[in-house]
Amino acid sequence: MSSPPASLVQASPEGTKASFATAERPRGTLAGASLALAWREVARFLRQPSRLAGTVGQPLVFWLALGTGLSPSFRASGHEGVSYTEYFYPGMLMMMVLFAGVFSTITVIEDRDQGFLQGVLAAPVSRLSIVLGKVGGAGAIALMQTALLLLAAPLVGFPAGPLGYLIILLTLGVLSLGCTSLGFLVAWGMTSTAGYHAIMMLVMMPLWFLSGALFPMDGVPAVLEGIMWANPFTHGMIVLRAPFYQEPGVFLSDPLYWRSAAVVLGAVALVVWGAARRVGAREKGGAFPPA
Amino acid sequence: MIRIEHLSHVYPGRRGKPGRVALGDFSLAVASGAMTILAGPNGSGKSTLFRILCGLALPSAGSVRIGGFDLFATPGPARALMGVVFQAPALDKHLSVAENLRMHGRLYGLSGPVLASRMDEALAWTGLEGRLGDKVATLSGGLARQVELAKCLMSHPAVLLLDEPTTGLDPAARRSFLEALVRIQRERGMTVLMTSHIFSEAEDADQVAILRQGHLLACDSPGALRRQLGRDMVVVSAPAAATLAPRLEAALGVACVRHGEELRIEILPEGGPVPLIDAVLAGFRDEVTSVAVRQPTLEDVFVHITEGTPVSDQELRA
Repeated sequence: MSSPPASLVQASPEGTKASFATAERPRGTLAGASLALAWREVARFLRQPSRLAGTVGQPLVFWLALGTGLSPSFRASGHEGVSYTEYFYPGMLMMMVLFAGVFSTITVIEDRDQGFLQGVLAAPVSRLSIVLGKVGGAGAIALMQTALLLLAAPLVGFPAGPLGYLIILLTLGVLSLGCTSLGFLVAWGMTSTAGYHAIMMLVMMPLWFLSGALFPMDGVPAVLEGIMWANPFTHGMIVLRAPFYQEPGVFLSDPLYWRSAAVVLGAVALVVWGAARRVGAREKGGAFPPA
Repeated sequence: MIRIEHLSHVYPGRRGKPGRVALGDFSLAVASGAMTILAGPNGSGKSTLFRILCGLALPSAGSVRIGGFDLFATPGPARALMGVVFQAPALDKHLSVAENLRMHGRLYGLSGPVLASRMDEALAWTGLEGRLGDKVATLSGGLARQVELAKCLMSHPAVLLLDEPTTGLDPAARRSFLEALVRIQRERGMTVLMTSHIFSEAEDADQVAILRQGHLLACDSPGALRRQLGRDMVVVSAPAAATLAPRLEAALGVACVRHGEELRIEILPEGGPVPLIDAVLAGFRDEVTSVAVRQPTLEDVFVHITEGTPVSDQELRA
């Protein structure tokens, strides 16, 4: 078929059809597609109040019950004069970020079951934007929830100033990015939400227990201490806890803070990258003809 | 517009068991602006082919080009040309109609006034006025399918793939869905590839491809496929069709194709249908419930092609 002159393309109906078939189509950009998908996560979340109650309520109940119960007997070296309610407060924030990550990535399995995911996978968007949409939306949700609980921080008696709180929010944002990406990575290969719950409890809870969120690292058996240092969540807790107790000028000049921050950033980058790779991998047919 | 060449797909077997061949050396070309229906019994490889075409799976061998773009090497531009209507609804039930459309538009790089005008245009033919703000979960099955199609048309796809899009719709909703699809396809010169079980849907198509066990058995226009079967056939209905078939064949000297309780005599002997019907009634009156002359429909062609010529194991492995 010879192509008609350009002036005819618009004039004849056949010409418009031909140009219709070959005209280039726009594609969703990384930012545009991620934002659209992230917006969906937030809109859905706000329409399901039970999810809000679950993710905010559970850590809050944990914190109040454990905090008041353990405070009389809590005497850790290096934490003299710190009540357990106070010690556990940053740990509770971490737990919330973790829970929000687990809960919000269950929707990966739901999206697949209900067919929504196929439509997104067939769209001309980069696979990274599919991850960033889910993870960014879930992260925004987690941040909204933790911000709600951060309002309680002055009541607990923390001396942090405005800059300190800003750093805390930023840290929580990075941590929730990591938690949701990890959840995403696990959820992607799962077919049942029940199975996903079981795996996440098996993986996430020990990571959280052994992160210094529940008890300080000082004086634990050496083996446990080794495990705790290898746990990225421990470094997350160090970075998260610092602004509650120290002036930004002090901890920002501490090389140990930056070491932990580097571990956290490295781990987060790794899971995000892993998740994008996982989404990009298309199921491949076996050898043909079969042996 | 769609060029599928030597496509093969094997689902790998577990623990040393041989894999299962879903598609074996399948080739098909769909011309620009043509509507092709892909028909085949369950397990014939339709869904596998569909998954590969919309870029969700990679085949064992072969190539697919969409509008000149290699679907496996450059999925981005190929995907941008395509719209896909899946069998399972790909809408978010918790979002409203307008929100679903807007989000889909963003994934296809639409924004601002272009997005707004595309939404209006996509909704113009639907019965969705006044329902834009409603959640998709509250829509009827027929309306939800309309949203699905409207959504996919927003990006002005050059190629539209549909996987049994009318499953679960009542006959009226199915007809209005197909009428809209065919009208838009003709208006825009859109290339359409649709899988279907319902043969009345295939009458409007330019081309019908029949698939079985991963092989293309026939591919032609609906009219040409019907002509393959000859003009008329005699259909004998009998409760015990299976035992009747060999006796009928022996007594009358004709070949029968059994389909449930029906025996189809597709190639009529000299003299046409009337003497044959007389002979059936004379010899088997108590065993048959009805005898009729019928023009072959596409469904008959399908039954003839998919059941009449068994594919040998050897042929499958080749």
